[in-house]
Amino acid sequence: MTDAAYHRPATLDAALVLKAREPTARYVAGGTDLWVQARKRKAAPVPLISLQNIAELRGISVGDKGLRIGATTPLSDLLRHELVRAELPALAMALGTLASQQIRNVATVAGNLCNASPAADTAPPLLVHDASVELRGASGARTVSLASFLVGPGKTTLAPGELLAAIVVPRPAKGTKSAFLRQGRVAMDLSLASVAALVCIEDDRQAPVVRLAAGAVGPVPMRLPKAEAALAGRPLDAAALVAAAEVAADEVAPITDLRASAGYRRRLVRVLCERALRLAVGDKEIHHEVHHAG
Amino acid sequence: MRSTMRAELRFTLNGAAVETMVRPQARLLDVLRDTLGATGTKEGCGEGECGACTVLVDGRAVASCLFPALEAEGKTVLTVEGLRNASGELSVVQRAFVDKGGTQCGFCTPGMVMATTALLQENPSPSDDEIRAGLVGNLCRCTGYVQIVDAVKQAAELAAKERP
Repeated sequence: MTDAAYHRPATLDAALVLKAREPTARYVAGGTDLWVQARKRKAAPVPLISLQNIAELRGISVGDKGLRIGATTPLSDLLRHELVRAELPALAMALGTLASQQIRNVATVAGNLCNASPAADTAPPLLVHDASVELRGASGARTVSLASFLVGPGKTTLAPGELLAAIVVPRPAKGTKSAFLRQGRVAMDLSLASVAALVCIEDDRQAPVVRLAAGAVGPVPMRLPKAEAALAGRPLDAAALVAAAEVAADEVAPITDLRASAGYRRRLVRVLCERALRLAVGDKEIHHEVHHAG
Repeated sequence: MRSTMRAELRFTLNGAAVETMVRPQARLLDVLRDTLGATGTKEGCGEGECGACTVLVDGRAVASCLFPALEAEGKTVLTVEGLRNASGELSVVQRAFVDKGGTQCGFCTPGMVMATTALLQENPSPSDDEIRAGLVGNLCRCTGYVQIVDAVKQAAELAAKERP
């Protein structure tokens, strides 16, 4: 078996220099997807540039722009973070059901987003929380919204040589609640469909803000502007949530594959969307239903 | 072309300092089994789904089939061989798996035991649901998991009793 290098640069600049010198090399954070892909492809291994040794890419910090999640922060660190649990419940719910402890201890949000799987479970919660991503390349840094970062299955707006340095999630306004629900065949399997909902009711005089996003039901995890618009200016009662869920089921663009048919995925979106909205508006009954629906 | 690329790797394995040369993209699993002879850790699926290769790196459960050996540099790795205490007694988790019959063919057992060890460090008295969620990354093809869950509960009780 031929072999390829495994670089562990200690600074971001050193990583960018290595990548410029070896353009076929790939950046790797946790690597939990990359190793599986590499085995399945059985292609000659490419040089890898591990980001794990770069201090500025690791960890969670809270600043003016909100929560900054460094590229190599394992999912389990994020799940334990007090602010994530308190203010980003949709993200906490997604992390809590994502794969297993063995994977969560290594895998990263950055990797989940850069792989750009339509079924990436961290994407719908980050979309409703208006997250953006900090990209770093030889020509400098830029920040783009997550919605514009994801462009297709396996495709992002990363330029050659660029890497995702951090995910930035703004602190939600007071009165914000969010939720994430997914359905997979078994716990460890990819989502057949997933939905995140965010509702912000600041006070009685202002119209509530509602944001919805879905995963595994289109080429990229996507916001659902039509379903959101269906709730604009309406009281968020049971009938309104059901109506919005039906719009969501029409709005998504699922395909049929070995995991589920397009029709079944639309039905899942309707059910998951209604339940996620009920969780996000604080409907107490729903906790019982969701728990027993497994 | 046969490669001769080698990289130096130093880490602590089950309390002992280890220094070895590895292929740069070797998996921790291969280094443990093939280079260091620690064959208690098993390879099942090789894709991070089955958990048979679970080891603890700096106290956290990881799938050693997806873990680059070079990322263990300077870290502490614990495998099933390292669970016995200084006088050679099995750990509470190992004893509980024996007592409750939480094992049949035994292939998944080292991974189950390591994942349980990590689970109980994080949550010393888990509910049945928390045990099943905690071990979702460990597959057993022989049993129905009931005795495994019983073993984890017994391990939690034993550990609580033995805690000073």
